[in-house]
Amino acid sequence: MAVASVAARGSRWRRLGIGARITAVFGLGALLLSVSMGGIAYFTVRHFLVGERESAAQHQAFANADLIRSSLQSGDTQYSALLASLDAGSDSHSVLVHSKTPYQSSLSLSIESIPTRLRDEVEAGSAATQTYPAQPQGTIEIAVGVPIPSVHASYFEVFSLSDLAHTLRVLSLTLIGAGIFTTLLGTALGRFARDQSLRPLAAVSRAAVSIAGGQLDTRLEPETADPDLEDLTDSFNAMVDQLQERIEREGRFNSDVSHELRSPLTTLAASLEVLEADRADLPPRSQRALTLLSDDLRRFQRMVGDLLEMSRVDAGSVDVFLEEVHVGELVHHAVEAGVRSLGDGATAPPVVIEPDVATLHVGVDKRRFERVMANLLENASLYGGGATRVTVAAVASATTLLDGAHDDIEIAVEDAGPGIRPLERDKVFERFYRGSASGRRGTGTGTGLGLALVAEHVRIMHGRTWVEPSSSGGARFVVALPIYDGPTGDEEVW
Amino acid sequence: MSGCILVVEDDERIRSSMRMALEGEGYEVKDVGSGEEGLDLFASAPTDVALIDLMLPGMDGFECCRALRRQSAVPIIIVTARSDTHDVVAGLEAGADDYVTKPFVAKELAARIRALLRRARPAEEEPGALTFGALQLLPEQGVLRTADGAEVHCTRTEFRLLCELAASPNKVLSREQLLDRVWGYDYFGDGRLVDVHIRRLRTKVEEDPALPRHILTVRGMGYKLVP
Repeated sequence: MAVASVAARGSRWRRLGIGARITAVFGLGALLLSVSMGGIAYFTVRHFLVGERESAAQHQAFANADLIRSSLQSGDTQYSALLASLDAGSDSHSVLVHSKTPYQSSLSLSIESIPTRLRDEVEAGSAATQTYPAQPQGTIEIAVGVPIPSVHASYFEVFSLSDLAHTLRVLSLTLIGAGIFTTLLGTALGRFARDQSLRPLAAVSRAAVSIAGGQLDTRLEPETADPDLEDLTDSFNAMVDQLQERIEREGRFNSDVSHELRSPLTTLAASLEVLEADRADLPPRSQRALTLLSDDLRRFQRMVGDLLEMSRVDAGSVDVFLEEVHVGELVHHAVEAGVRSLGDGATAPPVVIEPDVATLHVGVDKRRFERVMANLLENASLYGGGATRVTVAAVASATTLLDGAHDDIEIAVEDAGPGIRPLERDKVFERFYRGSASGRRGTGTGTGLGLALVAEHVRIMHGRTWVEPSSSGGARFVVALPIYDGPTGDEEVW
Repeated sequence: MSGCILVVEDDERIRSSMRMALEGEGYEVKDVGSGEEGLDLFASAPTDVALIDLMLPGMDGFECCRALRRQSAVPIIIVTARSDTHDVVAGLEAGADDYVTKPFVAKELAARIRALLRRARPAEEEPGALTFGALQLLPEQGVLRTADGAEVHCTRTEFRLLCELAASPNKVLSREQLLDRVWGYDYFGDGRLVDVHIRRLRTKVEEDPALPRHILTVRGMGYKLVP
């Protein structure tokens, strides 16, 4: 049980985070240090001051006892006058016990208020001193008892150290104040130490972000790094080296495979075109075979192209050629080209562009955008009974670019099909996802990569993709691209 | 339309299928398997268009392209298995006029060849002689020369691009317009073709290609020629 609770505490402690823990350690350390140093200082000073007062008190009490002895020996029994004549400060009071009868110098003091132990010791015949806390709270009293056996008397003197108590109170308040200050200073130091110790980690984090963003040649600078973190720097750089090598190897593999796959496809396509040219001379059976062959070859080509594009995206080796273009022109041309690629019999959906949007600019890779539109139109044609319209509108963006808020251009392809169920709306952009609406694999199925590539192409162009229900109950695939409003004028794009 | 096409491609199967397909389109085809043989054949037989695969054993496609460009202004199309910026731009920098990506459709390749051959002929609307800077452009004679009469050598594509810009001086032509008029591409042609050719053209007509004074980039719009 105990082990379990320690472990639980341990994990709660670890969950605090290294920064909070460093700060806490510094703060607690400073607190502990100031408490112990303050305590030591307080008690040393107290001990010293009280000791000094004790010896002074003893000195005075003995001197007074001596005076009393000589007075009593001379037969003087005017006790009150005797006590009043003694050399005593305002903060000391005396009790004289003579023949078992106590006489006191002040009404505020009686023999009962003198500690019993002290009285017993004096009665036993030895002088004694006792220091004890007294009323009011915090004051200290020193009682000195001196037996005067020659006249059968004992003399007690009680010193109230009210001024010392005040001094000690001031001292303790000062020490507590210093302790609080030290603790705060320790905490502040802890925060500083946290920042200092986390700074190299921030550099590592920045480097990791940059690497994740595709800057594979990012490294931590070994010469500027903290010598204590050399191991971290070295192992981090070694890791990135390996990562880069692996990615480059994969990239090479990809390009080799690409070459190997494309070569036979090129031969096939070119040979098939020779056959197509002579189609009329072939018997009907061969013509049908030729049709099958050419349809599937086209599909195969598209699939290989899509796969290679996807593996390039995965390897982070995409090449983007962003151009600033008119939205209206772009969408019109992309829809035309997309419909053309759907083949004979496809009709172009109406393109509805908000009047003030057509002249706006977007930064796109035109060929990627063409693929996006072609894939969306193909998707609508395969699963949604064909696109019913394409809309273009400007909306305030949900995301922000580096330079703050901006507007997006939303290009939407709508269909009148069965729509996409809410649970499937994210999944349709996954690779090879075949939704409930896609039906069986037949003559008209896509490559399974179309929508996944749409999402990737759009992401590469700094945009977003999603699907929502269209007004007619079908699906509405939306591509949002940031409006480009950068500088214009004579400037080299390259 | 006919013409003589030199095909440099190391894969024999692709080579023979290309030969068949291009012959089907009415071209005369000579094919070789290496860059060295390609250069030999080019020296010995008339060639209208050269098709060069970038991945060749021995002398690679880029080197072959540069070697060919050093001795001739013949239109060159590079054939690449990769559409990466690096390969395409490096090929264009090496002097190619256009590129196709494997696997290509023979009809598309034929269209590219047709566009290049068409370019060798005068366009319908030729601008008159135009002088800008220290240079004189004579579209009808296909000549670009300096003030003292020395001819500035440029490829036919570069010359054609210059003529299109010169046909409407001070007017901005978009990349799409230039792709259409010079290369015969539709809206989605590769804008890098224009950019690389503009850059190459600048090294020939500008005193300081880094600070062009005649062929200007208009950001977000295209290019314009200022006499």
